[in-house]
Parts: sequence; C-alpha cells; structure tokens
Amino acid sequence: MLRISGGRVYDPANGIQGEVKDICIADGRIVNDVQGAAVRTIPASGMVVFPGGVDVHTHVAGAALNFARGMTPENHRAAAKFIHSPLLRAGTGGITPTTFATGYLYAGMGYTTVNEAAVPILSARHTHEELRDTPIVDKSSCVLMANNEILLDLFEEGETERARDVLAWLIWAAKGYGVKAVNPGGVAAWKWGKDAKVLSDPVHGYGKVTPAIIIAQLAAIVDHLRLPHPLHIHCNNLGVPGNVSTTLETMRVLEGHRAHMAHLQFHAYGGDDWTTLRSEAAAVAEYFNAHPNLTADAGAILFGNSVTITADGPWQHLLYQLTGRKWGNLDVENETGCGIVPYVYKGSNVVNAVQWAVGLELLLLIDDPWRIFLTTDHPNGACFWRYPEVIHLLMDASFRRECLRKLPSRALKRIVLPDVDREYTLSEIATITSAGPARALGMPRKGHLGPGADADVTIYNESPDRGLMFRHPRYVLKGGEVVVEEGDIRKVVDGRELIVRPAYDENIEEYLRPLFEQYYTVAFENYPVEQERLEGADIRELG
Amino acid sequence: MGGKVTCTLGEVKNRADLIIYWGGNPADCHPLHFSRYTLNAKGKHVPQGRKGRTMVLVDVRETPSVRFSDIFLQVRPGKDFEVVTTLRALLKNRPVDEARVAETGLTLEQLQNLVDRMKNARFGVLFFGMGLTMTRGKHMNSAAVLTLVAELNAFTKFVSMPMRGHGNVTGADVVMRWTTGFPFGVNLSRGYPRFNPGEFSTIDVLVRGDNDAALILGADPGATMPQPAIDHLARIPTIVLDPKLTHTSRLARVHITTATTGISAPGTAYRMDEIPLPLKPILKSPYPTDEEVIRRIYEKVKVKPAWSPAAYAKVPCA
Repeated sequence: MLRISGGRVYDPANGIQGEVKDICIADGRIVNDVQGAAVRTIPASGMVVFPGGVDVHTHVAGAALNFARGMTPENHRAAAKFIHSPLLRAGTGGITPTTFATGYLYAGMGYTTVNEAAVPILSARHTHEELRDTPIVDKSSCVLMANNEILLDLFEEGETERARDVLAWLIWAAKGYGVKAVNPGGVAAWKWGKDAKVLSDPVHGYGKVTPAIIIAQLAAIVDHLRLPHPLHIHCNNLGVPGNVSTTLETMRVLEGHRAHMAHLQFHAYGGDDWTTLRSEAAAVAEYFNAHPNLTADAGAILFGNSVTITADGPWQHLLYQLTGRKWGNLDVENETGCGIVPYVYKGSNVVNAVQWAVGLELLLLIDDPWRIFLTTDHPNGACFWRYPEVIHLLMDASFRRECLRKLPSRALKRIVLPDVDREYTLSEIATITSAGPARALGMPRKGHLGPGADADVTIYNESPDRGLMFRHPRYVLKGGEVVVEEGDIRKVVDGRELIVRPAYDENIEEYLRPLFEQYYTVAFENYPVEQERLEGADIRELG
Repeated sequence: MGGKVTCTLGEVKNRADLIIYWGGNPADCHPLHFSRYTLNAKGKHVPQGRKGRTMVLVDVRETPSVRFSDIFLQVRPGKDFEVVTTLRALLKNRPVDEARVAETGLTLEQLQNLVDRMKNARFGVLFFGMGLTMTRGKHMNSAAVLTLVAELNAFTKFVSMPMRGHGNVTGADVVMRWTTGFPFGVNLSRGYPRFNPGEFSTIDVLVRGDNDAALILGADPGATMPQPAIDHLARIPTIVLDPKLTHTSRLARVHITTATTGISAPGTAYRMDEIPLPLKPILKSPYPTDEEVIRRIYEKVKVKPAWSPAAYAKVPCA
C-alpha cells in the first residue's frame, strides 16, 4: 500500500486541475484511502502528479521496426547504450531502440501504456514476441485492415455482413486491440507498383471498391462491433503537397462514425509541389473542431535523425527517390506492405521547417485537448523520447518564437505558427499525454487517478524548464510499484498486453479456410496467434 | 545504396511472372520452393501456375535446377558483380563496353534481353544464394543485386530475397535484432551490444582465439568452418547442444543430446521471408529441449555473484 502525499494533482478525467491531494494505492489500483503501518508514503509536496502517459500511436515492435533495426546499424552505434545489470537487460537506445530499452525509455519518461499502431496479421506472432520483451509498459496493438484483399473482395461484392465477421475473426487471430487503416487501397495497388491517390477512384485491380468505400465500411464495422478504439486511420496521400483536400474528404467520409486520425501533421499540407508546399493546419483544425466524432494525434516532427517506417509502401518508394538513401520494402501477402527510409529533418530545409510548424499548429489550433494527442509517429517524425521537447514548445510561446527565428524566412510565409500565442497549461498537457489518449483508446483504467484506475502514476519535480521537468520524472509508478526513481529504473515489472475479442459467427472459418489454401503460404491453423503465447494478457470480450 | 526491397513468399506465389534464381540450386537445396511458392504454385493473379511464369537461372555451373528454368545464363566464376553492374547500366541506358561484357561469359545481347524481361515483367522477383554472396565480391555482390532490384521499381514491381537455409538461422537473426539492434556478429563483453562483422563474427573470434569457451546450438561449425577455427574449438571447453552427434560434438568436451525442435520440442521458426511459424511436436522425446537445458545452465550460473559491467564500464555516450 502506498500514499503519494501532498502533490499537486492533475487528473483531467476527474476534473482535478492542480489540487493538492493525496493519491492512495492498494493492490496495483488507485483507492480512496489507505491506513495502517504497512503504508509507504511518497512525500510529493512541491511536486506535480500526473496519470502515467499513454501513447496512442507509436511503432515499437514487429517485423517492420525490426527490419529498420537491421537496416541502420550505424544509428545503433551512435545511440545511447544500455548496459546489462542484475536488474536490466542490455540494449541500444536511439532511433529504433531494442525492445528492453524501449520499455526502460518509455517508463523513464513517465509513460506506462503504448499502442503499437501497425500490425500485419501474418506476422502478428512476431509482434507479440517483441511486445513480451518490452518491459514495464502495458501494450495494445492495431491490426492493418484497409488493404486486406479478403476484405476488399468482400467490399467489392457488397458482402458487408460477412466482412464484419471476417474482420472480427482477424482481430482475434492477430490478438489485436483496434483496427488500423493505412493508405486505404493504396498499399494493395502498390503490390502492382501503383498507388491510390483519389478517394473516389476504384482501387487498381478492382471494379467498384474505392478508398472512400473502404474507409466508410471499416468505420461502420468498427462501430458496429463496438470496439473500444475507433477506426485508426492513416489517410491516403501522406506527406504529399496539397494533400489537405484528401484529408478533408476522408473526414467527410467518416461523418457519422467515430475515427482517430493518425499523425495528422503529415496530412495537412497545401501547395502544388515541393517548392510551393505550405501549411493547411488552420483549415484542418477548423473542420476538425466542428466534428466531435473525430480524434487525432499530432505526428509532430522535430529536427534531427529519424527512420521513417510505414505500411504506406508507395510513399516510401517516392521518399527513396527523393532522398536516394536506403530503402527497405516488405510487402505482406494479401494484407499490407511496409516501407523503411532513413531521413534527416533539417531546420534549414523549407519543407521540413513547414512540417515542424504544422505539427505544433495542429496541437495549438485544435481547441479541445481531449481530441488531439501528443505523438511524433515514432520513429517517423522523431523518437518518442523527444516528447518533452514538444511539450516545452507547447507550454512556452517565447521559446517557440525563439525557435521560429532560426527557420528560413521563406518558410515563415507558409505557416501560421508565428501568429499563435496559445500556451498549454499543465492540465492540458496531462490531457494530451494521458487522459485523452486513454479515453480515445477506450481504456477505462488508464489515464486517470480515480478509484479503480490502474496505479500508473508519474510524479514530476516542478520546474520552469518544462523540457527538463518532463524529461526526468522524480518517480514513476506502474501498477502501484515504483519503477523509476530519480532517473533510475528501480524495479522492472512485466507489462500486460491488452486484447479485444469481438463476437463473430464461428462458421466464418469455413468461408476463410479455402481462401487461405488458395492465397496464403501458411496453413490456416498456423495463422492465428495462439492465446497461450500471451501470458497474463488482459482480454476484453465484446458481446 | 542499401536496404532491401522484398516481400513475403505468398506475394511471389500470387503475382510473380518473372522468377530469377541467382547463385543457387533450389532444386536440390530448397526442394519445396518451386512447388509451394514460385514456379508451380497457382496464385491469385497467376492462375495458370508454371505456364504463367518465366524462370531465369544464373549460375556458374549446370546444376539440377537448370532443367526447371526457361533461360539459363552461365556466368564465368567470380564475374557476378560485373554482370549485375552491367544490368544496372543497361537499365539506365548507359553505354557498356562489349569486350568487357564478354569477359563475364555472357553476351551483351543476353544481358539486354534479361533487362528487357525485367522491365516488362508485371511482378519480378530475384532470389539470390550463396553462389553470389559467398564468392568473389561477397557483400558487394549482395549490395549490387539489392540495388538493381530497388532501381527496377522505377519501371515495374520488383523484389528480391536471399535464399536462406540452415534451419532457423532467420529466427536467430530476427531475435538478435530486437534484443541487441544487430543481426549477427554481436559482442556483449562490455555489457552492451557492439556490432562489427569481420571482428566479432564467429569465425574471426575463433581464429584469433579470443574466446575461452564456446556454447554451440543448432550448428555444426566443426564440419564447415576453416581449420584454424576448428582447432580453437578443440582447444577450449566447447559445449554442444544437438539432437545428433555432429562433427563438432566429436571435438567438444561436452555434448548434450536434446529433443529435436519441430518433431519432439515446440518452438517458433522464422521462414526465409521472416514469417514466424509455430512448431508443434508430434512425438515425445526422452531428451530435454534446448530451452530447458539453457534454462538449467542459467539457473546454475545465476548462483554465482552477478558480474555487472555497469559498475565499471566506460561507455561512449552519444
């Protein structure tokens, strides 16, 4: 039992904004009160108490990330080293940290739950093996569906009900949590070296199915199955000048359904080509503010080294042609693809400068912190362990202006950031890093400090230097255990996996089996991830 | 230059109309490759199977694979890099010296024909084996074919894949990457992973005599490695875990017989395209599994006072 005493508590989900109060913990959960001699007290007066961070969109495990690790040994050589000790496993940090280092780095920053945002079902077994080796943090994952050819064929034939059962079966086969759509139709077209640029045009190889149909169908199915997390969508035309029209059209297609717009920064550009690219964050924010069915994460970029990893194969081919650097591509039969291109964002580059501004503009121009969340689409825009830099930029307008002065003057004409004076409050930061993403993910025990919540708590030394404050929490508690104290990992607990089991008609297997034998190269029986592999998983059955 | 443009084997089965094998003999070494994934498989977009596909074989000698191929290109030994480079030049319409092309054992016409086929394929795939990666040029040959395939994507869909074998070598590579960041040749003696092929790869460590013990799992270096490496294994305490007595067992101090994974022990194997497959035992074995043996050794080692390099290591910080 534990009492965090005298801290200033920010618990936006329960309407608590900086009140000095005690937080009590018993059996890994938050409780109203604890009594007796066995209670350890953490004195927190003068400190700031947050619910543990929740990352709604990150890439920390699986075939694509592991491909990227293998492709960039030079990054690991330059990265921070993790030395093994009786407590810790060895590893490397940096841009694509090893699994154990990933757990230590997230916990060290006060994050206790992460959502791996792109899992192909065929290699989901691998993703879960990596997630099991990612300690401390709890983990959920989104399964890639928008280019699944069995689903696309069903949409083509208008078989919505069967598609619903197939999708539910696939989520359970992958032991996933949510549904991810990446460049709907575009990755399927990429299997022939094509893309899907226009939402209303049929997907290459199909007669009727368009990206708009895929988006609408998936969003409807996710709502119908009452999945805790809405459709998680990476729009078509990521990163392309002028893609704002595609993004707005996607949001219009989603009207009437819940949806989470992933890494919105990469989808809010105007202009006709790279020389005229400009920010359209204001237009996106205006539409978004008026449509409460949507949530989004920022996908902010920060200047420096990154590795871009996405299921969006055609975009990565374009980026390879632009950079002339390494290119990894991995198409996954009948399901999805992935591309990997190392990239350096430079402050002196006008396009990168605009991208930097767009991420911050979206975070500042979207009014409701309950609907826009802090991410960098790790490792695409920047590494997750750089989130404190973004927090600093959001909380300090004068620091932002200082950074703006370093940008090329040509970039300043294409952004609106210089005119934005808003500064985030601590309560708003707690919302975009924890309470909001937990609510969007549909995790009732995460992101708040009310009775019954998981005792995932981060305690900061308050400091006017917000970057420093958020980089080094004083204490981090996971499930009631003190895992980080003054920057050191003190205890390594296992994180749980969060899994959803939607209801489906068991007979769907009889429909799927022959298709598998025809199109796949693994046996139908070997396709689903065995439940026994996921020890201690938290499985939510949906009726 | 760098990276890899690849896919899972089902993509090849469902789409490939041009299949190139380079420096390998799949008919003997990967006997199910043709029927399951490539030539004879009927795919979603290649319903006619073998008739819908063209197979090109590039090798230095005639092997049993030749009779499966539509086109056989016999390269002079050690000239693979030159051939790949010529193909890259032709792809970009750059001038090539016909006399130097002739040194490769192939004609300009043959290579131009291959480039045309590659560019006009609907979906092409290039599988490359040890005849390319372990002969003159070695990793430069691999880099050259990977680059050729990446560049082909400006014209059509093209992918490549190394023809890996030897049981679960891909699985070892995959697990090493997520635990250390590197695929092989990793040295953990400073308490954190360092990668340097040529310095920390097994043969180099053994030949220099750097290690004073060896634990060998699922491999038989005594049969394949150079003699100085084998001599060192015989000199030091070598422990072998294997279901069978191997050449290495004969020179080892200790051989522990283990259950055969996939037959009498469960586990996971990664296919050459890095798709993990569950292994389900069909028989019981009187022998312990590899995992159990390692676990028991580890329990004993753990009793010793912890060796914690963290206490005194000096780390170059980034």
